[in-house]
Amino acid sequence: MLQVKDLHKSFKTGDGNVNAIDGVSFSVPDGQFASIIGKSGSGKSTLLSLLGALDKPTSGSIVVGEKDIVKLHDHTLIKYRCEKIGFVFQNYNLVPNLSAIENVVLPMEFAGVSKTKRLVRAKELLNQVGLEGGKQNRKPGRLSGGEQQRVAIARALANHPSLILADEPTGNLDNQTGKLIFDLLHNLSRTEKTTIVVVTHDLDIAGKTDVTFRLSDGKLVKNGAK
Amino acid sequence: MNVVSRGIRNAFRNTIRTFSIVVILGLSVGLALSMLGARQAVQQKITTIKSTIGNTISISPAGARGFQGGGEPLTTAEIAKVSSIANVTKVTEALQDRLTTSDTNLVSAIDAGTLGNRQAGNSGVGFQAPPDGVPGGAAASQDGTATVKRTFTPPLIVSGVNDVSAASAYGGDSVTFTSGAAFNASSSENVAVVGKALAAKNSLSVGSTFTAYGATVKVVGIYDTGNTFANAGMLMPLATLQTLSAQAGQISSATATVNSIDNIDAATTAIKTALGTAADVTNDQTTAKTAVEPLESVKTISLYSLIGALVAGSVIILLTMMMIVRERRREIGVMKAIGSSNLKTMLQFISEAVTLTFLGMLVGLVIGIAAANPVTKVLVNNSSSSTTQTAGPGVRTRGIRGFGSNSVTNIKNIKTSVGAGTLLDGVGIAFLIAILGSAIPALLISKVRPADVMRAE
Ligand SMILES: Nc1ncnc2c1ncn2[C@@H]1O[C@H](COP(=O)(O)OP(=O)(O)OP(=O)(O)O)[C@@H](O)[C@H]1O
Ligand SMILES: [Mg+2]
Repeated sequence: MLQVKDLHKSFKTGDGNVNAIDGVSFSVPDGQFASIIGKSGSGKSTLLSLLGALDKPTSGSIVVGEKDIVKLHDHTLIKYRCEKIGFVFQNYNLVPNLSAIENVVLPMEFAGVSKTKRLVRAKELLNQVGLEGGKQNRKPGRLSGGEQQRVAIARALANHPSLILADEPTGNLDNQTGKLIFDLLHNLSRTEKTTIVVVTHDLDIAGKTDVTFRLSDGKLVKNGAK
Repeated sequence: MNVVSRGIRNAFRNTIRTFSIVVILGLSVGLALSMLGARQAVQQKITTIKSTIGNTISISPAGARGFQGGGEPLTTAEIAKVSSIANVTKVTEALQDRLTTSDTNLVSAIDAGTLGNRQAGNSGVGFQAPPDGVPGGAAASQDGTATVKRTFTPPLIVSGVNDVSAASAYGGDSVTFTSGAAFNASSSENVAVVGKALAAKNSLSVGSTFTAYGATVKVVGIYDTGNTFANAGMLMPLATLQTLSAQAGQISSATATVNSIDNIDAATTAIKTALGTAADVTNDQTTAKTAVEPLESVKTISLYSLIGALVAGSVIILLTMMMIVRERRREIGVMKAIGSSNLKTMLQFISEAVTLTFLGMLVGLVIGIAAANPVTKVLVNNSSSSTTQTAGPGVRTRGIRGFGSNSVTNIKNIKTSVGAGTLLDGVGIAFLIAILGSAIPALLISKVRPADVMRAE
C-alpha cells in the first residue's frame, strides 16, 4: 500500500515560492497500476520524485508498506531507493559507458547482490523485456530508444522493488513502440506483483490503468478510480 | 565490475582528453621528480662538501709558517690533545725540513733562477752550505752580514708525515705513483718516497738509496703530483725524519679535519683553548661556505619548483575532474537515484582521478629519469658560475693547498639518479595530486540532486 497524505512541496525561486505540490492525498493498493496525468508544469514529475525519495517534501507523509519515508534518515533513504524503488525515465537515463547488461547489474551491485547472482538475474531480466543476445552487451548509444527503455525497465526491476515509478516512459517513443513498452510494464506489474505509478500524457494509456489521478497546479482534481 | 573498475574504465572514456591530461600531468610529475632528485643530489653534495672541503683546521707553531717566522716548535704530545676534541675526525702531523748539500748527496731538481736567488738574498745565510768549490763558506755561515758571492742552490724540502693518504701531504691536488708505493706512515724505517723531478735529477729508482743526515735512506716510491714544486720534494715517515733531523717529538704543522664545516668554528675555538699561545690556529671555512652557497640556493629553487609542480599537477587534475563531474551530472544523479551512495559515487570518480594520475606518473617517471641529471646540472652550473674562484699558485708554506677553483669542479660534478626511493616518492606525489585534485569534485558530486534527473537537460 502506497499512502500519500497532505503532501506539500514548494520551491524557492527568484520571484517567490512555487507550490509545485499543494496538498495531495491519495493511496494505491499493492500491485496496482496507477497513472498520473496533467498539464505540463502541474507537478507530476515533482510528485514522482517525492514518492521515489529523490527529494524531500515540505510537509506531509508518504507511507510505503508501513514506513513513512519522509521521516527516514538520508542513508536509509539510499537503501530505500535502492531496494524498494525502480525508476524509469522519459529519456532512459542509462549510464552511457556501460553495456546494457552492466546497466542492469548496477542497482544490484549497490544493493550488495553477489557477482554471479546479479549477472544471472540481469540476463534473465533482459530476456524478459525482450532484449536478447548480442544486444545485451551493447552500450546504450548503439541501441534504439525502445530498446534503451527496455533496458531501463529491466534495471528498474533488478532489486524486486515494491514500487516502480515511471515518468513518461513512452514520451520519447513512437506510438507503436510506446504501446509495447506500456504493455511490458503492465504485464510485469501482474507477474511481479509490483505497484506501478506512471506519469503520462497519453490518455489512451491512462485509460488502461487501474487508477488515474489528474494533477492541476499541484492539486489532485479528479480521482479517476474505476 | 565494481566502483573502482568503473572508475578506471571511465578514465579511458574520452581518449583524446585522457591522452592530453596524461601528457600534461606527466610533465608536471616529471618536473616534480627531477626537482626532488636535484634536491636530494644537492643536499648530498652539500653534506659531502661540508665534510670534505674547507673543513680542515691548520695548526702551526705560534709565529711560524713553514720556514718563515720563528718561535718554538709544536710537539706531538701537544697535538695529541687535539684528537680528543669533539667532531675532530682526523689529525695529521707534519715536520718539514730543508736538506742542504751538506746534509745529503742529492741535488735539488729546481734551478735557483731569479726567485730563488732573491729569496736566498732576503732570507740571509746560515742554513745553506756553500756549493762545491766555493771557498769561505764556513766563515760566511758564522757571520750573517758577509756578502760572499755564491751560486745558490735551492734546498731540498723533505716532509715527515704521519698520513700519506691525502694528496695534500705531497703538496698536490692529486698524486699518482709512477713506480713503487707509499711507505707505512707510522713506521720509523729509513725510507722515502721522492718526487718525479727529484728522482730524475738524481737518477733514483725504487730500491735506490741516498744519504741524508748521514744515514742511508731507501727509495720505496716515486710520485707525480703534476706540479714542479712538489715533484722536487720528498716524503719520509714522521718518526724517521724526527729522529734523523734530531727534532724528536717536534712538528712544524698539523691539520685537524672536522666532520662538517658546521662544526668548524666550535672545533677551532676548542683547539685554540687546548693549545693556548703555543699555536696559531686557522681554518678555511669561509671558502667552503662560499662554495656551498650556490648549492643552498639550488636547493631552495628546487624546493619551490617541486611545490610549483605539485600544485600545477593538482590543479590539472582538479580542473579535469571538475570538468568531468560537470559533464556527468546526469549520470551521477542517475547513479544516486538507483541506489548509489555519495561515498560510492565519489570513490568511482576518485579512482578515475587516481588512474589518470597514475598514467601521468608513469609518463612523469620517464621524463623525470631522463631530465633529473640535466636539470640538476643546469641549475648547479647557472648558480655556481658566478662564484667561480681561482686559487693563486702561491708559495706553499704549509704543504696544504688553498681551496679554490677546485671546489667549483667538485660542485659541478653532481650526479642525480632517480633511484627506488625517488620512484616511491613519485608514487606518493601522484597520489597526493590525485587526492588533492579529487577533493573539490567530490564535494560537487555530493551536491548533485538526484531529483534533477527527472528533468531534460
Ligand atoms: N527545482 C525546482 N526549482 C524551482 N521550481 C521547480 C523545480 N522543480 C520544479 N519546479 C516547478 O514546479 C512546477 C512543477 O514542475 P514539474 O516538473 O513537476 O511539472 P510536470 O508536471 O512534470 O511538467 P511536464 O509535464 O512538463 O514534465 C513547475 O512550475 C516547475 O517550474
Ligand atoms: Mg515532468
